[in-house]
Amino acid sequence: MSHRPWHIAPLVALFTILIVVFLVARAKLVPETFGDLGFYRAQALDDVSELEISYAGMDACFDCHDDVFEEKSGSYHDGLSCEVCHGPSAKHVDEPDEFTPTAPRERGYCILCHGYNPSRPSGFPQILPEQHNPGKVCMSCHEPHNPLLPHTPEECSACHRDVANVKQVSHHATLECVTCHDVPDAHRTDPRNEHAEKPIDPSTCAKCHADGADSSEKIPRVDIEEHGGRYLCWDCHYPHYPESK
Amino acid sequence: MEQMLLNISSTLPDVSGYVFPNEYVLQWELLIVVYPYLTGLVAGAFILASLERVFKVSVLRPIYRLSLLTALSFMLIAPLPLLAHLGHPERSIEMFLTPHSSSAMAMFGFIYAWYLMVVLLLEIWFDYRKDFIIWAQEASGLKRLMYRVLALGTKDISKGAIDFDEKAGKFITILGIPSAFLLHGYVGFIFGSIKANPWWSSVLMPIVFLFSAIVSGIALVLLIYMISTMFRWKKMNMACVNKLAEFLFYAIIVDFSLELLDFIHRLYESEESIDILSEMISSRLFMSLIVSQIIIGTLVPAVALAFGRFGGFYSEMRRMLFFVAAILVQVGIFSTRWNVVIGGQLFSKSMRGLTVYKVEVFGMEGLLMTILFLVVPFVLLYFMIKIMPPWMDEGLEDIKLDKSNGVTSPPTTA
Repeated sequence: MSHRPWHIAPLVALFTILIVVFLVARAKLVPETFGDLGFYRAQALDDVSELEISYAGMDACFDCHDDVFEEKSGSYHDGLSCEVCHGPSAKHVDEPDEFTPTAPRERGYCILCHGYNPSRPSGFPQILPEQHNPGKVCMSCHEPHNPLLPHTPEECSACHRDVANVKQVSHHATLECVTCHDVPDAHRTDPRNEHAEKPIDPSTCAKCHADGADSSEKIPRVDIEEHGGRYLCWDCHYPHYPESK
Repeated sequence: MEQMLLNISSTLPDVSGYVFPNEYVLQWELLIVVYPYLTGLVAGAFILASLERVFKVSVLRPIYRLSLLTALSFMLIAPLPLLAHLGHPERSIEMFLTPHSSSAMAMFGFIYAWYLMVVLLLEIWFDYRKDFIIWAQEASGLKRLMYRVLALGTKDISKGAIDFDEKAGKFITILGIPSAFLLHGYVGFIFGSIKANPWWSSVLMPIVFLFSAIVSGIALVLLIYMISTMFRWKKMNMACVNKLAEFLFYAIIVDFSLELLDFIHRLYESEESIDILSEMISSRLFMSLIVSQIIIGTLVPAVALAFGRFGGFYSEMRRMLFFVAAILVQVGIFSTRWNVVIGGQLFSKSMRGLTVYKVEVFGMEGLLMTILFLVVPFVLLYFMIKIMPPWMDEGLEDIKLDKSNGVTSPPTTA
């Protein structure tokens, strides 16, 4: 007669207890509505909807502040909601005399968006706070509801800081931007509508780098017809930092 | 924030080419290197144990239990680097309570639990049950109670019960082999399935991880066996050591061939990432990949093992060669993990720049924590060995101590 393995009964019991403990813990710890609508707690939707509303939305501001709204429309800050700068203002909409929204005047506030950060898109106005009128409050020159520049930017780096930073450590440091880009004068004052042109064929690079080009002998030369085959120069060489691979 | 800026400023001077702003500082640091290294040792040690049990390589009997305890001690510590890295250990339970099938990490929680609870602990229990009962009878007081608890109160050591344990143990080992493959294959899977990263994305990754795990596991058990035998003043079972070295040699050859295949495949494919990866290998990873992983960690130990095993040396010389080879293998496999984890984050997704990684000494992810996580499994193993001696020394002599000349033992050529 074969041996009955009764000696593993405690082992089976132990595993059964562990499994039961796990199932009980799961039943107790997993929120009731978890999984009803998706991989989350369905009750969370109700919980969130019951939270106090802090933001009123831009349309609510228009009802009373239509003059400011008009000024902001069509400006560079057109797409910016009022509460981005003035803070959550639902209470102000409900009780205008009781609660007044904040109106940031500090220099550090504008720098949150307009301080230089290489991950911001080229063309977005970015300043180096230490160099750009240090100590001066931004509002003394810029009207935040219609932030036109007090004067036409002298340097491309005012808006294209990221490009300028890279270019200034490259062999192209001394080149003016207009050497390669056709920049209409209006681009400086209306950059969203008047675009600077980018080179479209190797002839721009050929001005300095073609075999017979009228440029310094120290500049690398290539046979512009043969070099790179069907690729354009900037498919392989980054013009603002041509040394990079 | 300030600490992050400090990290970036210390890194910037060594960054080359163009690197996206969020790539300057690595997200996965030294602890994530330790994690696959530890799980690799677990899987390797277990697969070694299964060689004796399932494939009847009886010459490896002296290290069977030692391999299992090694696997268990490293298994218990393996998730700690992950928990320390994530910083919220209390949240890990969520992975089990509400697992999502699309998350490889969540599924791994179950593989881990399965491997620990159903494979390792059960196999060890069935193997040790008889001994627990005998030790409980021989001991007294708390020790007796501990062994009784470990035996789960069972007292049956009849032939029928022991035969059943043997069969159950063998069945679990058979079940354990694919489980061990899953355990470490998964770690490779996690990296291999990140398709946005050309250094990681490879279908060979799980296989390469698995074989490197076997290499590191065999080398670790070989090391522990040699050192523990020395401290126990026992003569080494040279037949066992020779066989271990032989398996280690074969595993290194297979592992190296697979890695070479992966490398050749990448070269032949020559995707757009090949230039930046070549630059990374020849600059940032030169020491850790070419020197440490390939030369010191693979070629030198392979040659040492081949000479040791097939060179006809005296056992003293063999032992020395095997010992050095096993240490170098550990260095090599740790470098492998480093090269995968750190290497995969050193190049920019722009494919035009390389960042650097500087190991910090203090802090949650620093060098000291790493050393701690590498030492604790050995401490745990020491206590396990004290409680559950794994030695199977039948037929082995003690080393005789000659008071006048120190240790003596005649050279043997097993």
